[in-house]
Amino acid sequence: MPGTITTPEIELILEKKNGGGGGDLPPAGGGDGGDGDGKKRPNRPVSPGRYYTGIAVGIVSVLMFFMALASAFLVRKGGADWVPVRIPALLWFNTVVLVGSSGTLELARKRLGNSDVLGFRKFWTVTTVLGVAFLIGQVVAWRVLVKEGIYLASNPASSFFYIFTGAHGLHLIGGVAALIYVARRNFDAAQVTRSVAAEVTSYYWHFMDALWLFLLALLYLGK
Amino acid sequence: MVTYDDGGNAWPATSSRLLSRVFSTRHKTIGLQYLWLSLASVLAGMVLSALLRVHASWPNAAIPFLSDFESTPERFTAMRLLHGSLMVFFVLTAAPQLGFGNFLLPLQIGAEEMAFPALNCLSLWLTVVSLAGMTASFFRPPSQGIDVWLASAAIFSLAALLSALNFTVTTIELRAKGMTLPRLPVTVWAWFVNAILSMLIFSVLLAGCTTVLSDRVLGSNFFSTAAFLAQQPQNLVRQVSLSVLWQRVFWYFAQAEVYVAMLPCFGIITHLVATFSRKPVWKERLVVLAICGVGLIGFCVWGYHMFATGMNPYAPLVFSVLASSLGVPAAFLLGSWLGTLWNGRVQFTTSTLFAIGFISLFIAGGLSGIFLARHDLSRAAVSEDFVIGHFHLVMGVAATFAILAGLFFWFPKLFGCRLNEPLGKTHFWLTFAGVYCIFMPMHWLGLLTQSTLLPEAQRVAVALAGASIRMVVTAATIWTVAAQTLFVANFFGTLLRAKRAEADNPWQATTLEWSVASPAPEENFGAEAPVVYRGAYELTGSSREQFAPQHLSPELLAQKAR
Repeated sequence: MPGTITTPEIELILEKKNGGGGGDLPPAGGGDGGDGDGKKRPNRPVSPGRYYTGIAVGIVSVLMFFMALASAFLVRKGGADWVPVRIPALLWFNTVVLVGSSGTLELARKRLGNSDVLGFRKFWTVTTVLGVAFLIGQVVAWRVLVKEGIYLASNPASSFFYIFTGAHGLHLIGGVAALIYVARRNFDAAQVTRSVAAEVTSYYWHFMDALWLFLLALLYLGK
Repeated sequence: MVTYDDGGNAWPATSSRLLSRVFSTRHKTIGLQYLWLSLASVLAGMVLSALLRVHASWPNAAIPFLSDFESTPERFTAMRLLHGSLMVFFVLTAAPQLGFGNFLLPLQIGAEEMAFPALNCLSLWLTVVSLAGMTASFFRPPSQGIDVWLASAAIFSLAALLSALNFTVTTIELRAKGMTLPRLPVTVWAWFVNAILSMLIFSVLLAGCTTVLSDRVLGSNFFSTAAFLAQQPQNLVRQVSLSVLWQRVFWYFAQAEVYVAMLPCFGIITHLVATFSRKPVWKERLVVLAICGVGLIGFCVWGYHMFATGMNPYAPLVFSVLASSLGVPAAFLLGSWLGTLWNGRVQFTTSTLFAIGFISLFIAGGLSGIFLARHDLSRAAVSEDFVIGHFHLVMGVAATFAILAGLFFWFPKLFGCRLNEPLGKTHFWLTFAGVYCIFMPMHWLGLLTQSTLLPEAQRVAVALAGASIRMVVTAATIWTVAAQTLFVANFFGTLLRAKRAEADNPWQATTLEWSVASPAPEENFGAEAPVVYRGAYELTGSSREQFAPQHLSPELLAQKAR
């Protein structure tokens, strides 16, 4: 019956259970990452819904961030000091790599659906490598521009080029981190299954992919 | 072999008890930490406002605290910035949403924790960093200070985004069995709508701060310069300000920020008015719709503050109509509060007084808002003082009253004891009188000082009147700030006194947080998840004891009635 136990009593019970410290094994239901107080919580099943909703809401927020920059881009590009940036050819190659990585991600998830964990790991690794390759490619593209003498501070167009690619790159680093996390994490003790984690990651990754296509179109058409 | 890589329980058992308490991921601890943060900020901000008033009345007086600094106009501009930042970010945004919300949202929906506790902890500490940064920016020379401020604002945006994500997901996913959307307390609706609104606008502020900071530090060209302005229509160039684009981005955030501060207060007031009138919320569905409406329209009025800075001449009209149409949901809310109070068996606790005070301030401040929503009038007739009076009444003070009302109401659940009622009531009346004496004359001042069309002789008389009104405002400010010592005494006195055991449900309220002990126990509801059987405001009955808590099954309720 809720409402009849007072805090000191609960703490007493917890002391007994945990042996007076937080050093014991964590509860199996700590999938939400980080239960720093080291006290046992009742084991209730956690539905994966929060991760799906969380990533959807997060995507909206990231989208809003880029839309703010994109509208600033559209307002700004009328200016007289606007010198269009010639997009390095390497970017097209990078784009193919990123789109390809979305494909391999889906292949990996398909393997996981058929409970072929080995196949999943293979394609998942390929995806991660492609993602890293894209990031390296972006940095190389920056260096190409720098060699041509186009810096962040050169003119508004170059400023926007660097901030779009930079901000997207930062967000993609987060995606790569998620890929590595899903690959390395042991899901035996976790409350989410590997397929849920993979699905949530895939949403973000595909979103990053689509966002890049949008940004590229914006930079290409809007110059 | 099972490995645990959850990242939790990493603290060594003996040395880090304190550390794990400070960096707790518990929603209740985090909620309280936000409230302490707000308390510190509101006290500091209030002292600053008094200093600013003293400076306005006696420009030459040396202020003891500040005499170490040079007392140049820039110093006082920086002081205004600090006052505004502390109040808007760390009091109005933090307390009603992040403070009360973090503590109460899981309790009110029957969850044991927020959806992402680690994220919650991160967002709290980002907020603390941001507070430190904004305070530090005051002590730096202006050019450096602005950079520090911008970085802090960006960090705050990030923290707000993480919190908003947490609130949204928690409300959608973690509701207890039977807690359908129509059964949600209005407070939860307000936090939810507010989280969605924050989600949308803080990303824009983050983008804005990033670009401005990049302009200032890395020399990029997002917001510079005259070449851009030359391309723009004539009306824009007339304003000498070079940073119109930045202003647009900023006001896109800042106008909606007003509603971010107000929305949770609407929720709290609706909740308290119903509980203390012993009546269901009048037209609850409409109230929820109105809260959604405020969120939606609030998001769309971003151009409103741009009346003064160049826009397409037709645009202000659109925003003006939108801004005026905010009156519609506001009127719904007002109607519901008054309708709930009407014929209610109103219990005049301190909390009720502050809630009614909120309604009064909301009406008073809202009325001057109608003038300001007129795009032509706001430029012609009124000066800064009128605007300052308006938004302090409707946003600053009203929201503070809602926070205080909530604090007096939930104090038993937060700390396990009640604040002193007579002291609280005295504090209320002194503050209530004080704020009206500050901000009403300020409206008047705003109308007076702008009367440049008057003949010379009258202008002198007006200037004289203006000076004496300013003095009244300053005196009232000092009075009001002094009155807050009563609150501080009440707050700390109650906490320091030996705790009396508090009833679980001292106010005979219906929502789930009152079904658990006071203060709320570590694991919220214990082993058994609560089940919800009815709406949040079933308070009608022939006596005060006849009310239907959300968690009691019909059988238990019938037993209790017998």
